Amino acid sequence: MSAAPKTILVVDDAALVRTYYRSILEGAGFQVEEALNGLEALETLLGGMVDLLVVDINMPQMDGLTFLRTLRQKQGPLAAIPALVTSTESAEADFAAAREAGANFYLRKPVEREQLVLFARMLCGVAS
Amino acid sequence: MVFTEAKRYYVERRVWERMAATDSPSFTHYFARLRTDTHDEIQQFVNAFTVNETYFYREDYQLKCLTNDLLTERLGDKPAGDAIRIWSAACSTGEEPYSIAIWLLENWPRVDQYFIEIVGSDIDSRVLDLARAGTFGKRALMRLPPALIDKYFDALPAELWRIASALRDSVSFTSVNIVEPDQTRPHGQFDIIFCRNVLIYFDDASRRIAAENLYENLLPGGFVCLGHTESMSRISPLFEVRRFADAIVYQRPGITRS
Repeated sequence: MSAAPKTILVVDDAALVRTYYRSILEGAGFQVEEALNGLEALETLLGGMVDLLVVDINMPQMDGLTFLRTLRQKQGPLAAIPALVTSTESAEADFAAAREAGANFYLRKPVEREQLVLFARMLCGVAS
Repeated sequence: MVFTEAKRYYVERRVWERMAATDSPSFTHYFARLRTDTHDEIQQFVNAFTVNETYFYREDYQLKCLTNDLLTERLGDKPAGDAIRIWSAACSTGEEPYSIAIWLLENWPRVDQYFIEIVGSDIDSRVLDLARAGTFGKRALMRLPPALIDKYFDALPAELWRIASALRDSVSFTSVNIVEPDQTRPHGQFDIIFCRNVLIYFDDASRRIAAENLYENLLPGGFVCLGHTESMSRISPLFEVRRFADAIVYQRPGITRS
């Protein structure tokens, strides 16, 4: 019997990007939830845990790095949800900033389908 | 449906459209095809006469052109993360803007590298309500591969399908009369405008005003795609004709290429 599907929260302000990642991740057997920015992501997480966050950096209201910093300071299991940051920013300083904010991994956009699935599986501990 | 002599042009347009779509070299060839109902041509012919009834992936050679050439040109001077604005200026019940979204998701691997904004507009508020609801019948989906229907639609009873909510969120709908600058101007400037099979319904004067409005709504270097039976050169001298591998499109001049 296979385990229950892992849930991923995609946090990105671009609807088409959310749809894109959703279709890729659902195709790989994940359940997907969406949030438009860091604030909405925090609210979504109040409603239930997820197994992985896929987080964009540049977003209105609350950007991805602020979101991760806020999340990592929380008490309990929320603070430890693995986070995969995806961004068009690709300088060494951006990687460093993401690491400091508490990212577990960083993929530069455009993200290849196979890469997204590969790292989502690894960060969720799903055998592939 | 009844068509009097006054509707001759309307009828001819559709016959030409079907002749072009079926690669018929002459009317005789096309008529033979129609009489024998080759490839369901009778239904296709009837469909051509139903205004407001469009379908997903209609004239998809322009969608190919979008991902093969137009976007690449538009990205020339845009850093990653910038907005790409696409306007479906007469979107009827939403098939065109949703088709653009699906096409990009399926065929453009850089879709997450830019902030893509798709706006669908129409003069008719009833069709816009339908577009927002995103529910479609079999005919609207006839050109979509079944795998894409499974992926992007939820099946409802009575042979209806609703577009996935995530996809619905990726298109915004607005009411606009493209002959009224006061209505077109607030939409801002776009990288690419689709305005297919609309201008053919206008008289010369309205067509010219619409063309000028489209021009104003384009960023310098932006493109407008018309229906395959339409020609901007007949309407307005404002645009440059560009011939790409998949389609002919019209460009607002004004960028200096390095």
